[in-house]
Amino acid sequence: MNEADIDADATDRMLLQRMSAGDRTALSVLYRSYHGRLCRFLSRLTRRPDVIEEVINDCFWIAWQKAGNFHGDSRVSTWIMGIAYRCGLKALRQHGDEPVDDDAIPEDRTPAHDPGEDRELRDWLGKGLDRLSTDQRVVIELVYGVGHSLDDVAVIMQCPVGTVKARLFHARVKLRNVLPALAGDSRATKESVS
Amino acid sequence: MTFPTGSGRDCARAWEAMPWVLQQSAPHEQSNWLMDHLAGCESCRAEFEQQSRLRRAMSLPSDIAIDANVGLKRLLARLDAPEPQVAPLRARSAGWLTRALVAAVLIQALGIGALGMKLWSESDNSMYRTLSQDTTSPAPPGAIHVVPDATMKLADWNALLRTLQLQVVGGPNDVGAYTVVPTHSASTSRATLQQLRATRGIRLAEPVTDTP
Repeated sequence: MNEADIDADATDRMLLQRMSAGDRTALSVLYRSYHGRLCRFLSRLTRRPDVIEEVINDCFWIAWQKAGNFHGDSRVSTWIMGIAYRCGLKALRQHGDEPVDDDAIPEDRTPAHDPGEDRELRDWLGKGLDRLSTDQRVVIELVYGVGHSLDDVAVIMQCPVGTVKARLFHARVKLRNVLPALAGDSRATKESVS
Repeated sequence: MTFPTGSGRDCARAWEAMPWVLQQSAPHEQSNWLMDHLAGCESCRAEFEQQSRLRRAMSLPSDIAIDANVGLKRLLARLDAPEPQVAPLRARSAGWLTRALVAAVLIQALGIGALGMKLWSESDNSMYRTLSQDTTSPAPPGAIHVVPDATMKLADWNALLRTLQLQVVGGPNDVGAYTVVPTHSASTSRATLQQLRATRGIRLAEPVTDTP
């Protein structure tokens, strides 16, 4: 954890403490601070905007209720991502994880600024992630997207570190074999996994 | 596990280190070592480039844009609502529980009542008798307690009973008293009592009363 992470965690703890005293401004600050990363994290689980918004609100509803019970055993971000992960899985059980058609996404929900390079990168990634299981997508997002350690991911997903390692390894191997071909690179190689 | 990069031990180590170096969470020594390794290993260098691209792609904001302000407004409105889903559920569950308890008590009361009625109806012809229960049957009408003398002959006693039209229905008890009743009439005449008392060999003759 670098200094920026330490500072961010100290701020988050202070916000949680104020939330436990009923401070809604602190809740609003924390909500806005996490909204972007939770959107992206949950978009690895479902493509339905309504479900993502519902899960984010469920997550902060729980955070609001349990802010006083946070004892600092982990980083606040790990705690919140863990809540979001469990709420996300619950929502998937309730709503199903079928993606919605792009036509179903309102115009105002598509990113206003999406340069060509980003769009290409996004498409490339999307096709690669489609080949992964939900758990593998979540691990890749938490490690490469959010920047969590193996220990953090194990706490978030409530599983042993060894399981996280295995998921990360298999996801990386799969992506390594798939992504170059998607990018028009003939470097895709087949590697054995034992 | 076989690592997909080069087969050497260093390539496996490089494969392990890449995510954490990209995260900038790896120690400086590990980062420096990886850079040195990449300089001399084309396979790992290509892999690291791809990992860097993956990291960049994963860092892009979500393509599903959701308005944080709208979501926050809904959340705050939810906080203001006094648990609309939970409270009625509790009330409903409490009402249901109360009704179930009342029903259970009523069923028990009915069962106890039915059992009591059954026991009460069977008490008259019960095949057992409790220790506190009065074992003496009520004296029949016109009954007389008679104590004959020990020297009275059985033939005389039988002749007396025949003459007075009496029959023995009980006794002798602890004091040698017999209970006799009229054979035909429901009540004993005063004359019968007088005759008994006047008879030789009869030490006592008293009418039986229900209350002492």
